[in-house]
Amino acid sequence: MRIALADPPMTAILALTRVPGFTGPIEEGQSSGMAGGPIRQGGQHRVSRGTSCSVRLGRSFKASPPLLLATLVLISGCRGPQSTFADAGLEASSVAALFWWMLGGAVLIWFFVIGLSVYATKAHPGAHSDKTGLRLIIWGGCVFPTVVLTILLVFGLQMMPDFRAPANGPRIAISGERFWWRVFYDSPAEPGVARSLPHEGIESANEIWLPVGRRTELLLGSPDVIHSFWVPAIAGKTDTIPGRINRLVVEPTREGLYNGVCAEFCGTAHAQMAFRVRVVSQEDYETYVAAQGQPAAVLDHPGLDAFLANGCGACHTVRGTEADGRVGPDLTHVASRETIGAGILAMNEANLARFISSTEHVKPGVQMPSFGVLPDEEIAAIAAWLGSLQ
Amino acid sequence: MQLDNRTRDNLWTLISTPAVWGVHFLFCYFVAAYVCAPNTRIFEPIGGVRVAIALATLPALAFCAFAGIRATREWRAFRGDLPFDAPTAEDRERFLEFSTMLLAALSFVAIVFTALPALLVQDCR
Amino acid sequence: MSQAANAPDVPPASTRDQEDPKVREEQEERLRKVWASPPGWRYWSDTNNTTVGVWYTATSFAFMLFAGVLALMVRTQLSVPENDFLTADLYNQAYTLHGTVMMFLFAVPIFEAVSIILLPQLLGARDLPFPRLSAFGFWCFLIGGIFVCGSIFFGQAPTSGWFMYPPLTTQERFTPGYGADIWLLGLSFIEVASIAAAVELIVGVLKCRPPGMRLNLMPLYAWYILVVATMILFAFPPLIAGDILFELERLFNWPFFDPERGGDPLLWQHLFWIFGHPEVYIIFLPSIALLAMIIPTFAQRPILGYSWIVLAAVGTGFISFGLWVHHMYTTGLPTISLGFFSAASEAVAIPTGVQIFVFLATCLTGRIIYSVPMLFISGALAIFVLGGLTGVMVAIVPFDWQVHDTYFIVAHLHYVIIGGVLFPLVAGLYYYWPILSDRRLSDRLGKIAFWLMIVGFNVGFFPMHYSGMIGMPRRIWTYPANLGLELPNLISTVGAFIFAAGILIIVFDVLRPRGKEPLAKRNIWNAGTLEWVADVPGEDWGIRSVPIVSSRYPIWDQPNFIDDIDKGRFYMPDAEEMKRETMVTSVLDAQPLQCLRGPGPSFVPMCAAFFLGASFIAATFHYWTAMFAALLFCVVTIIHWLWNATSVIPEKEEKDVGRGLSLPIYIAGPHSVSWWAMFITMLGDATAFVGLVFGYIYFFTIHTDFPPPDADGPGLLWPLVSLAFFAASWLLTLVSHRLLRRGRVSAARLLMAAGAATSVAAAAALLWGPWVTDLQPTVHVYPATVWLLAIWTAIHALVGTVMLGYCLARSLAGKLTPKYDIDLANVALYWHFAAGTGLVTVAVIALFPLAN
Repeated sequence: MRIALADPPMTAILALTRVPGFTGPIEEGQSSGMAGGPIRQGGQHRVSRGTSCSVRLGRSFKASPPLLLATLVLISGCRGPQSTFADAGLEASSVAALFWWMLGGAVLIWFFVIGLSVYATKAHPGAHSDKTGLRLIIWGGCVFPTVVLTILLVFGLQMMPDFRAPANGPRIAISGERFWWRVFYDSPAEPGVARSLPHEGIESANEIWLPVGRRTELLLGSPDVIHSFWVPAIAGKTDTIPGRINRLVVEPTREGLYNGVCAEFCGTAHAQMAFRVRVVSQEDYETYVAAQGQPAAVLDHPGLDAFLANGCGACHTVRGTEADGRVGPDLTHVASRETIGAGILAMNEANLARFISSTEHVKPGVQMPSFGVLPDEEIAAIAAWLGSLQ
Repeated sequence: MQLDNRTRDNLWTLISTPAVWGVHFLFCYFVAAYVCAPNTRIFEPIGGVRVAIALATLPALAFCAFAGIRATREWRAFRGDLPFDAPTAEDRERFLEFSTMLLAALSFVAIVFTALPALLVQDCR
Repeated sequence: MSQAANAPDVPPASTRDQEDPKVREEQEERLRKVWASPPGWRYWSDTNNTTVGVWYTATSFAFMLFAGVLALMVRTQLSVPENDFLTADLYNQAYTLHGTVMMFLFAVPIFEAVSIILLPQLLGARDLPFPRLSAFGFWCFLIGGIFVCGSIFFGQAPTSGWFMYPPLTTQERFTPGYGADIWLLGLSFIEVASIAAAVELIVGVLKCRPPGMRLNLMPLYAWYILVVATMILFAFPPLIAGDILFELERLFNWPFFDPERGGDPLLWQHLFWIFGHPEVYIIFLPSIALLAMIIPTFAQRPILGYSWIVLAAVGTGFISFGLWVHHMYTTGLPTISLGFFSAASEAVAIPTGVQIFVFLATCLTGRIIYSVPMLFISGALAIFVLGGLTGVMVAIVPFDWQVHDTYFIVAHLHYVIIGGVLFPLVAGLYYYWPILSDRRLSDRLGKIAFWLMIVGFNVGFFPMHYSGMIGMPRRIWTYPANLGLELPNLISTVGAFIFAAGILIIVFDVLRPRGKEPLAKRNIWNAGTLEWVADVPGEDWGIRSVPIVSSRYPIWDQPNFIDDIDKGRFYMPDAEEMKRETMVTSVLDAQPLQCLRGPGPSFVPMCAAFFLGASFIAATFHYWTAMFAALLFCVVTIIHWLWNATSVIPEKEEKDVGRGLSLPIYIAGPHSVSWWAMFITMLGDATAFVGLVFGYIYFFTIHTDFPPPDADGPGLLWPLVSLAFFAASWLLTLVSHRLLRRGRVSAARLLMAAGAATSVAAAAALLWGPWVTDLQPTVHVYPATVWLLAIWTAIHALVGTVMLGYCLARSLAGKLTPKYDIDLANVALYWHFAAGTGLVTVAVIALFPLAN
């Protein structure tokens, strides 16, 4: 059972329009990076202004350039890669529609109550009898809220089972770890309490690919503390809790690159525990997962020697090499990802080198120690090698 | 005025209906948790739980209706006149009856609300 | 006694001619002397409700300002993306302390503080029934608050949010240092103070009303206080239970929240939010209560819909206990479970709406007088209604899945709390200031402050709805550029500073010297309720004579009311024996029952709070010896306090309180205030115990086999032996009480001694069970839970031993006699609860596994 939401009334009220020209949240090859601390990134792309305005507040603003500018800047995020209005998943879209309906109702009620209170202070004493007042309490305070709340409650309740209906797409296990995301494609995990995610399947990190139009089952767990997995553009959030495997079913409706974040406070670097989600066609998805299952592409590189010599392999796995650490992200195909450091820096050699040399500075609280003591050449070599691991 | 055949209201009778709401609520929560909390077999229908909740809901609603109607009858019978602010035991009684009626109505609605999920959700998913 | 002996022999009140000014002058002189604060440094030993209430209020406002500064630091850090004003660690300390301090050290205590000042005034009482308990609560609050706040200056403040979710907080590897312990122990200590205040306020409302103030005539503030204090009684103990589990895990590695050993981090969330959601209403209802007092005054009419307010207060009080999981919608709980909580979360909006419409209807049918308090009330309404509407939205689960833990929620909760708590409080400040300090606050400054606050607040918090919707999570110390978050955050920061400027103006208005200004008029707003009887300048005695009330608005409706009070024509116009006295009445109809003598100023409550605080602080830093020493001192101090200042046998049985009425000075049993206090305290205690049992049942529901099949329980024999001893102690206590009342003192003493012995045996047998079966609490959550229940119950048996021993000593000292038996009556009441605890514990740890 699903009650479909028609175009919300707010569409009319706020003259909702989509900017023509806007195709996807972020264009290919771009990234909205994030640096910790005072360091500003060089060479980082800016998000295309194509992501701008989807809501226009009416003609009056157009007369005033500063106001218009302010409005534009303010609403530039509303269809951004991290916005709940981005309309890229079935759940997110229904919830956004629900939001506009509720907002419309809330605005009407608020103006009614405030109007009434203004009137009440101006009304001539004696103009209204106690009986009128009691009627106001009964109808305004009891009957009306009860009716509205009943409708809203039934509506909200019947939405939920659909969101959690069985999946028909792949099954991906995602482990929230301090402060990054471990990913297993083709996972055998099952939801439940008093269990933890099996480390099986094709491993990746901090970037999740999803096939468009399929209901993909995400199984969420954590080996350390509670995190929360959230891709606002696609669906609501679900916590990753040690000792539990939670289930979230997502159905992306639009290809593109979207931001995900950790939404539950998990420690010092909580703010910098992001990731990317790329929604692609079914074929691209299959090609990608198959590629992720392969060993590393470059096995003969001075950077690999430096990597192993400095003990990086104690924490990181690079399949096809001796590095088989289980603590940090799997780096076998690190260069195929959009970002490094869990969604905080754009993937390129310069940023790799920076992350290795001043880890704690870029991402305070990170579990990886800074390797700034290494000679610059070694860091550059490691960065060059990692940057080649497509 | 004779009050012999009537309930003597006090603070405990006043809170009886929301207390019933509380018991009903906890019952629903525990029954559902007992079956669904392990979070396995999430698509198996939970008919038993839903029937149990229905069976708990009916007497809970009946009690609220009973308490509400009783209180209404009593304050009406004594030409109950708002706002019940005379300094007499009579008016204190009327006030408690009227408030009991309001709380019974609120508890009734709240119990219906609590039962709605059992009506609309068919499994543990 | 010595004071009474020195006092001149004053004839009974009924025989005095109140119309004789000389008689009145003598009476006033005596009253003034009895109720005066002690001079010099002994001022700090005062226990009078007005003095303690003012300390309490000032302290919690100071904590609010401190937390406000933290909020400004947070806002400054977030004003631009990738800012480095604060480090990540300091930011986390700042936001954690901001939430913790605002909730635990401002929002809850301010209600208690204001009520300690106002409630006796509203009820025409001289004081609350347990003034030293109020003072004890205040000193606990002050010590605990300074301890928690001070931690940030040593970089040791907790960093994990005011909700402290494990396992982040329970395991040293994630949160090294003392931060989490400071949070837990510091706040547990303050929770004790909150519960103490709740006991005081419930008994105050039920038993200390003036004669004639029947339930249907009670001021609405008193109704709200009754509801809120009862909510505290049921909401705080689960948190204390949670704190116990938490600290046992953090200090001794008992695995309640560790999934690897059968625990579950979600149990903490349940216990925390069973406290945390009612807590929102615990802070909101008292502020609405202020509106219910202020609005009728400025509408110049009685409230329209008195019963509706009572409905709303009581209804909210109940339903707010069914909302807790709406803070846990995203934890992956089954849909049907979420549904129940969504339903209750929507249902609670109904009584909230009723209150708003009662106020609107009162305004509509009255003649509104514009004033600064009304200005703040209109602001409160505008802000709170918006917060309430977003609250209805987030109660819908799918919507909450999107906005949970985002800035949308930050906006929502600040709209609710600032609109529903802070604005009404400021309105109350402007309204009640003339009672507190005899002069008015400035209207001009008030208006400026109002406009700064309302503009600043909306500029600050409205954009947060938007930041949340476009993807800004909460509790992040930095955020990236290019997501559209820059402008809303910058606007929010600007708004926050404007808002702070408004608060600063109020602080200035309160603190500025106003020596030359004329005194305010008495009852300056022409209000109708009892608190406005207070004369200007105020007197310490609370009320000149305890009036007979026959209206909800006695000043408006009862002719010559203030004059009758002033001339002492009502009850208790005198302090003949130079004792602090107040009247105790019956619950339903407020018929006079007793002339209650309260204790005077004393440093004992301060010492008790100091030792209790010392033991908590020592535990934080693992100084176990110091902890036990401080705890021992605390117990000794409390026994000293009880021994000398409670259930004192009076020099005469009855006392003439005027108008031909004689009241007993000493009553025991269900009519006495101390019996009620014991009953209420034990309800809270039982709630904490239920919280622990909830833990056991919770593990039973989430595990398919609990207790684990291979685990040995505590066996059957020893728990049952313990149960037998519990039953014996209970029976011995009851019979001993009965014998004492019949005058068989020696037999009663014998049974008290026997009861003390059997309760030690009960404790020993209960602990012996898990000991002989060698249950290891660190191995798995099952043995840990069994041990915890056994220890909790054994402690109750041992407390019972101490109580019986205390009664025996009192009896031997001649302070407990067949006629004056409060101590034993209350201990008998305690034993009902203790025996119940024993029964449930044995049933859970020994019998329940058999049923599996």
